[in-house]
Amino acid sequence: MTAVSDVSFEVPEGSILGVIGPSGSGKTTTIRMLMGSLAPSEGSVSVLGHDPLHFDHATRERIGYMPQQFILYPDLTAGENVDFVASLFGLLFFRRRRRVRQVLQLLDLWDARKRQAKDLSGGMQRRLELACALVHEPRLLILDEPTAGIDPILRRTIWDELHRLRGEGVTCLVTTQYVTEAEECDTVALISEGRLIAYASPADIRRQAYGGDIVEISTEATFDADVLAAMPGVHGIRQTGLRDFRVAVEDAAVAMPELVDAVAAAGGTVAAAREARPSFEEVFAELVERDRREHPVEAADGDGEASRAPSRTDAERAATATEAGLRGSDPAGHVPVEPATEGQGAASAVPTDTADTADTAAEDAALGSRGDREEVA
Amino acid sequence: MGLLKSVMRTLALVGKELVEVMRRPGAILSLVLGPFLVLAVFGLGYQGVKADLRTVVVVPADSGLPTDASAYEAFTARGVRIVEVATDEAGARALLENEEVDLLVIIPADAQARLEAGEQSELRVVMNQTDPVQSNYAGFLAETLAAEVNRELYRRAADEGRGYAISVGGEDLGDIPPEVIASPVTASTENIAPTTPGIIPYFGPAALALVLQHMAVALVALSVVRERRSGAMDLFRIAPVRSVELILGKVLAYGFLGAVIAASSVALLVGVLGVPLLGQLGLVAGVIGLLLLASLGLGLLISIVSDSERQAVQLSLLVLLASMFFSGFVLRIGEFNEPVQVAARALPVTHGIALLQDLLLRGEILRLWQVGALAAIAGVLLLASWGLLRREMRPA
Repeated sequence: MTAVSDVSFEVPEGSILGVIGPSGSGKTTTIRMLMGSLAPSEGSVSVLGHDPLHFDHATRERIGYMPQQFILYPDLTAGENVDFVASLFGLLFFRRRRRVRQVLQLLDLWDARKRQAKDLSGGMQRRLELACALVHEPRLLILDEPTAGIDPILRRTIWDELHRLRGEGVTCLVTTQYVTEAEECDTVALISEGRLIAYASPADIRRQAYGGDIVEISTEATFDADVLAAMPGVHGIRQTGLRDFRVAVEDAAVAMPELVDAVAAAGGTVAAAREARPSFEEVFAELVERDRREHPVEAADGDGEASRAPSRTDAERAATATEAGLRGSDPAGHVPVEPATEGQGAASAVPTDTADTADTAAEDAALGSRGDREEVA
Repeated sequence: MGLLKSVMRTLALVGKELVEVMRRPGAILSLVLGPFLVLAVFGLGYQGVKADLRTVVVVPADSGLPTDASAYEAFTARGVRIVEVATDEAGARALLENEEVDLLVIIPADAQARLEAGEQSELRVVMNQTDPVQSNYAGFLAETLAAEVNRELYRRAADEGRGYAISVGGEDLGDIPPEVIASPVTASTENIAPTTPGIIPYFGPAALALVLQHMAVALVALSVVRERRSGAMDLFRIAPVRSVELILGKVLAYGFLGAVIAASSVALLVGVLGVPLLGQLGLVAGVIGLLLLASLGLGLLISIVSDSERQAVQLSLLVLLASMFFSGFVLRIGEFNEPVQVAARALPVTHGIALLQDLLLRGEILRLWQVGALAAIAGVLLLASWGLLRREMRPA
């Protein structure tokens, strides 16, 4: 069984990468490979310049990890748990005492430091886990669904803290099943059924889903929008109603007046035109649906993990996406491959045919997972 | 710096284990006090002697033998109490089948005539026992009863023979009492052991060894399984923690706990229950230390091979059961065949019991090789646990 396949990316130092996908999509499997607790059957993983399977102690001390479930000791107090984890990561007494106090205060747990972990609320337990991940001042923070099952206020608190850490140069890799949290990240990797289906900045992800900016136009009478397809800068058109259609354009601000004029020239009258900003739920749904159309599931287990056929080329994907989704001259729906440039220390998604490009960028990567295929049997 | 951090990590693991245990005092109380309470009840309630077997003597109806129970008292052995003399064998069997009596002694009808004819007579003893121990005991009593009857026959014959000897002028023979002729040899016993403890003092050292092994095995067996189930093992995989530090942390924590329990238990045994302490305290401490090490190794091994807490508990109980049967706690190891003896000697408690009984009750170690065996068991189990844990902490 393949849990994760064809997932390649790099994370620039001092940035936040959000690994987003539904439950069972392979996020935790990916994290386990990054942490060295799971060996990929193919491909390679490099974290802080080291193979996770052979991390030395110094490298481990630079990584903070917050698992998905509560793994701390329920009989120990909040303070004892943080102190214990700090000891494991090699903090000596005085620094440990200072850091325990700092992280507990930072996460508003100082008053609860003498309460046993089992007596803390779910939200407090999540914060306690975050405190444990932060206590040794890691340069790389890997958080597996830190916001799962907690209230929106605490989710906001956690993201604020991650942004603050990013400001201090900490690299963060965060998994989440809340698609809307993509907005919080510098880079987003969308994973579905064990495959990386998109990897870019949130803005670019949105553009990828629809082939560019989206302009929504309503006409006063029925209008055949196909006449607009030949316009320069138009990547695709989708009729959403008899009088409504969406146009994917290169730049909405430039294209909107041209589109209004073009409709008028074709005999129509524009009732309303506006730039649409689809929510990330819509974006994600669009990308997942497109990916499913392109890659029919061969087999799936009860956990939602799937084995799929080997991935096709980007051109094939783009062609299929064009047929199924937007119509236009540009390969709308293309999930682009954006290998990081050398020195960028960035994340990259590297499918089979672009692995070599990404290799050059891996040297300075704060965290990178790259290779032809990463499969976990 | 690396060594300092390693020491600090190990101490953190020790502290974590101890705090966790202290926060669950019920587990310690039940593990330690439970067996001691059972032993105390056993010691206080056990009378040390078997109850007399209720016996019906069946005499042939037309034999002319007395039917008064008191007439047979001279023939009864210790452990047999004649409750009735009956002439109806079928009725007596019914009593036996209903377990209203324990033994039937059926007197042969023609004993005198057969004796005079130079033939043996059969004294039949009938029992209704499924318990093999009780059955053997009843058989032993039957033999004793038969010997008692034979002795009485000798005595009477000797008495008659003496009268005959006197009548023919054998004056010297007349000086020998018939009891001496019937029983020319009697037995007396002498015990050269340094102490002859009662039930509780005798079983005290064995119970201590058993409690220490069980406590160590049960506590450690659950600890790794619980950490695996909670996901804490993932934390250990990710943190810069070595498997040897994990093993050391647990061994030191539970070893310290076991040492405290052992010290207080020895004080209880010696001070309250009257168990003699004839050996050197240092040697006792050394043996207890080795026993704890070996038991912790066993617990760790169980913990690492168990998939769930339930399996760990089951395996711990199996070890306890095996220890009860094969360690010499109840039955002597020499009573088992050789393969079982070998298996019994693989249990830490087997050597722990023997060594502690030697040290406390005799003041010396009689079989020094058992110290080596205990150390070897500890070494093998701890090394195996370390190897398995190391493998578990590697990437899947």
